[in-house]
Amino acid sequence: MLVRKLTWPLAFLMALALVFTLFPVFWIVMTAIKPPTDWNAAPAIWIPHEPTLVNFRTLFDPNAIREYGVGGVSQAATASVLGSIFASVTATFFSILIGLFAAIGLSRYATMSKATPLVILSGRMFPPAAIAVPFVIIFSATNVIDTYSGLIAIYVAVTLPFSTWMLKSFVDDLPREIEEAAMIDGRSRLMAHLTVTIPLIRGGLFATTMLIFILNWSEFMFALVLSYTNVTTIPVQLAKYVTATAGTLYGVQAALAVLAMLPLVIGGFMIQSHLARGMTFGAVKR
Amino acid sequence: MKNNRTEIESLLTDFDAGGVSRRGFLRRMAAFGVSAAVANIIVQSPFGARQAFAAIMGSEERAWALAKEAAAKATKKSLTVLIPTGSIGNMTPYVGKWKNELGIDITFIEEPDEVVHTKGMQEAVAKTGAYDVLMPTAMSYPDWIDAGVIYDLTPWTEKYQPDIFDPQWGVVFPASHHAQLYNGRVAGLLCDGDQITLLCRDDYIRNPDKAKAFADKHGYALSTPKTWSQYRDIAAFMHDPANKFFGSLEYRSRYYVKWMFMQRLASKGRLWFDKDMNPTFNSDEGLAVLDDMMEMNKYLHPDAFSFTWSSNYNAFGRGEGFMNICWPSGFKYSKAPSTGPATSGKIAATVMPADKLKDGTLLYAGMFCWGYGYAVSKYSANPELAYAYAQWMTSPTISMDAIPYLGGYSDPYRINHMKQPTQRMIDTYSPEYLETLYNNIVNTVPDFCLPGGFEYQDALDKEIHACMTGEKAPKKALDDAARSFDRITRRVGREKVQKSWLVLAKNLAEPIKKASGADQWG
Repeated sequence: MLVRKLTWPLAFLMALALVFTLFPVFWIVMTAIKPPTDWNAAPAIWIPHEPTLVNFRTLFDPNAIREYGVGGVSQAATASVLGSIFASVTATFFSILIGLFAAIGLSRYATMSKATPLVILSGRMFPPAAIAVPFVIIFSATNVIDTYSGLIAIYVAVTLPFSTWMLKSFVDDLPREIEEAAMIDGRSRLMAHLTVTIPLIRGGLFATTMLIFILNWSEFMFALVLSYTNVTTIPVQLAKYVTATAGTLYGVQAALAVLAMLPLVIGGFMIQSHLARGMTFGAVKR
Repeated sequence: MKNNRTEIESLLTDFDAGGVSRRGFLRRMAAFGVSAAVANIIVQSPFGARQAFAAIMGSEERAWALAKEAAAKATKKSLTVLIPTGSIGNMTPYVGKWKNELGIDITFIEEPDEVVHTKGMQEAVAKTGAYDVLMPTAMSYPDWIDAGVIYDLTPWTEKYQPDIFDPQWGVVFPASHHAQLYNGRVAGLLCDGDQITLLCRDDYIRNPDKAKAFADKHGYALSTPKTWSQYRDIAAFMHDPANKFFGSLEYRSRYYVKWMFMQRLASKGRLWFDKDMNPTFNSDEGLAVLDDMMEMNKYLHPDAFSFTWSSNYNAFGRGEGFMNICWPSGFKYSKAPSTGPATSGKIAATVMPADKLKDGTLLYAGMFCWGYGYAVSKYSANPELAYAYAQWMTSPTISMDAIPYLGGYSDPYRINHMKQPTQRMIDTYSPEYLETLYNNIVNTVPDFCLPGGFEYQDALDKEIHACMTGEKAPKKALDDAARSFDRITRRVGREKVQKSWLVLAKNLAEPIKKASGADQWG
């Protein structure tokens, strides 16, 4: 195995890349533990002298920040956190489930037109803003506007092309012969896919699941447009932290952003070995 | 109002019967929170105190009576109000009264201010009925009325008389027309007097060393600027970036910068269109305005290119500039010690500076921009109740009580807010600033309160911003904006926009009509 020696220029470039990548995270975490007086102090306060958890408490108790003389926060973030978890987890599950079987079908049973994969991808070939209004009309007519089922349906529809294409590439890279061997051993087609294909592409499956979850978790536009009073998610809630007396509540926004990052970071660590495999799956062509 | 109505009525009866002296009456009315000016109107009324008090209280009482009736009939015992973030504090103090006395739950849905218009337009197709009352800026009314999102309130205003045109406590003209009417019909009831005025640091003006140095340099006394050229002189003189103190904090950020342009253009006697809907800003006056703005860029706060209304207020409140062009809530927050730690008690304000016209006369013009109001959703389950809420909240008495709350950015808009203020209103704004507001609002020109208004506004804003950041030359920016305006006019319909524009132009202050030539438009 070829091991490249870490040279000083390379180390410097890597450190630069790390600083560039992690600085926004550092800044958000620091802002999340700053008291209101430090949020937009000039010159900027990099690390707060008196760190506080008041921004996090304000997410669930809007009056908590009054101890710093900031009023006007009217909504707790609880509903948006729960809403985001419910909508993202459910939509990711259905997107992966449907995408997985679509991927196997497209890869192994080319019964449909060769253009079918492109047709599926065409759903992502125009900006989401272009389809927002038609969705509002359709969802209003079918009474699913401002419901989680409506939001989940659109999340699945929007992410399905990604999940299908990504998973198809993983299935394509798996030799058919392995599945055929399983069928020779007496397994049905379905069982061969369930017990052979899917376990063998699990790295790619985890990587795709993570990507789809991130897309759903951070989605703003559809959640904003399709929600009124019953549905809310974290990205929509983030935009609402503005009060008359304190302006934009940067600290509270940062606290919610930190909270929003946590499941992704934890999930990423838990499946990092699969992720690494998934990212490199098929990198070496047969 | 924060007073005991029964006790006030008993006092009125006693006064009419001669049982209470004039001085005793005024003293006791003051104790009930009624302003001296209102109490004086009541005392002097030839029709008797009860009747005079009933007159100014009439709008609130008629609204409350309607609310009671509508609440009793309503099957859905709630009202949902769509509001922009940052405004809630003017409304929450009354939620308990509506719940306790009418059994109506009031729920506020907050959306970022730039989203409110879109959410309203969305109702045109979604028809969810999720909102009963909507709180847009005046620019939303034309599109919302045309899209069938909100009611024409005229039949209700004729029946329940919200006193919006009353000469003593109505909404100040011309805001009464620009910010509430669409083609002469009432589309919404104003709840926020969004005009821009000029704030200055009074402590610096009073500094004798600075005053002398300024007078020596410029040959006239240092004070609040009377003209745009004085404004620039003073900004340059006070600009001290080494000590993080800047000449002015006016906006150069996207979404806000067009108002800085429009304000200066109006001061030159130019409006946005001529009578045939041809854009008029791509002219010598428009270019002069851009030159002036670019010259001013040298003396602005470095965050001017990213200011939102709130970050601007915060920076001024922290003492980072000598002048600020902002909404009255900017004064409110820089006066309050909690939000203006460096500026409380140190602010002098003035009407927007004038510009010299070709004939040598000075033209004072203001900008009425934003200006939130209550509209009633066509898809509300309880439209009468929703209207009653709008009239009640904007009545001369309740609005006088609501505006001083710091938790919301509503500003004075009725004559009595400025001319007959309560002590709370005076404490929040100061008598001098309320007078300034009145003097400025009577000369205000309207925002794009026209069909397609948001598109016009965005097209102009984009180009002015491009010019300020150096992406485009001034002439090209204005010509491009004019081309966009022509496209929008063609698409929306020239006749439709023109009709609306001529109605707006008809209701301008006389000096502005004359300077712009709108007095000849017929």
